[in-house]
Amino acid sequence: MTPDTDLIFRAAAGDHSAFQALVERHRSMVYRVAYQFAGNHHDAEDIAQDVFIKVYRSLDRFRQDAQLTSWIYRIVMNACIDHRRRHSPAASAPFGEEAEQRMLNTPEEAPGPEETTYAGELGDVLEAEIARLPPGQRMVFIMRHHQDLKLGEIASSLGLAEGTVKRQLHAAVHRLRRALTTANVNVGGPA
Amino acid sequence: MSAAGEGTTRVCDRLESGAVELYFYDELPVAGRDGMASHLARCRECAAALDDLKVIRAALALRPGVSAPPSGDWSNFMDRLDTAVLAHKGSQNSEPPKVVSFEPRNPGTLEPSNPGTFEPSNLRSYIGLFATAALLAIVTISVVFLARNRAVPEAQFAAATPSSPDARPAAEATPIATTGMRSVGEQHLERSKLVVLGLASKEPGEVSVSDWAYERSLASSLLNDTRLYRLAAEERGLTSLAGVMRDLELVLLETSMAQGSDPAELPQIQRLIRKRQLIQKMDVVNTVGLVP
Repeated sequence: MTPDTDLIFRAAAGDHSAFQALVERHRSMVYRVAYQFAGNHHDAEDIAQDVFIKVYRSLDRFRQDAQLTSWIYRIVMNACIDHRRRHSPAASAPFGEEAEQRMLNTPEEAPGPEETTYAGELGDVLEAEIARLPPGQRMVFIMRHHQDLKLGEIASSLGLAEGTVKRQLHAAVHRLRRALTTANVNVGGPA
Repeated sequence: MSAAGEGTTRVCDRLESGAVELYFYDELPVAGRDGMASHLARCRECAAALDDLKVIRAALALRPGVSAPPSGDWSNFMDRLDTAVLAHKGSQNSEPPKVVSFEPRNPGTLEPSNPGTFEPSNLRSYIGLFATAALLAIVTISVVFLARNRAVPEAQFAAATPSSPDARPAAEATPIATTGMRSVGEQHLERSKLVVLGLASKEPGEVSVSDWAYERSLASSLLNDTRLYRLAAEERGLTSLAGVMRDLELVLLETSMAQGSDPAELPQIQRLIRKRQLIQKMDVVNTVGLVP
């Protein structure tokens, strides 16, 4: 299989088929993260489109010594935040160290756990709460929990300090646990 | 360290510090793991948090993983991306590309291509555009009928000339008959405009053979439908609209036949676009879309 770096080099030189090969290789990962972030196909597709357009525009700026997946993750994360910002200006906290506290305390507008408990599905409750997480927490949780990336990898991909990632994850997990408790869902542990 | 599990009501420091998550995700150093394991045996609060994490993981693992558009069909996604990339190529020196949306517009609302810039005071300038859009809607309806009526003769023609490189099955040659009329019309015009923009902004002498091959294939793919739009407009007596379609058809035809080896080809196509004011004419259509 042609290495990613070769494809990037060729795509940057104008080889459209190389760019298409690059997209075909990474589109599933991008779409999966975008879907987990957005929760629906329509937005996931828009985010994924945005990601690959940004990749295309930045091909000549990609450092050959960098990890392509990390680079793409960072673009995905920014695209998710941008998408959220466009569709909900009130929740447009920028993603960065200085904005961490604001993000930790800015939940998304979505049905709360009380409204989703009737479904009786634990997964439904959790997904609804994940959708309410502030964008930064949501992205970190998705990358750790769904993509199985280590905290160091997440920090490197997102350009954040590892401590920040750790706090974001902790806050996300805390919210999820609290949502389960509020929803009176018995998720284990002593009653 | 406090420990709620040891009789106090204060939240356990280890839980507060996120150590339980690190333990759960196997991100604690070995020494820390051993200490945490013995702590978990004593602290009910941390043990409950660990159980919660296990339940969260198990519940989410049961959710369907979505890593592709519905039905796993990437063709629309790739088409959209190609169009956007093409637009970027054509406008590298002007403005950044945007995600091209082929979503049908909200019926009954005045929604220009950039909703954020619409001003009521501009309404007058939109009246003419609405008239053109209404005409286009009529033409689109006509195209559906034309396409259906032409399906059989085209199939017969294709059968009679199997060696023709352009021979295609009737169903493939008439996508308009099988797809949503409105979205096809919008897609067609959007794609055509992007191709024309791309051609108009290219630098002569800097177009590679592979670029030409790509432009050629795009132009060829749009040619048949453009011809159908033009025929429908002519049949309805919509001469000005037919003129736009004729100009577009001419540009697409020239492009589809270009070899890329002659340095005069691109300037000639660009002159044609300028002379016919094709971009301005297509802007009128793209501004309001096919609003019936």
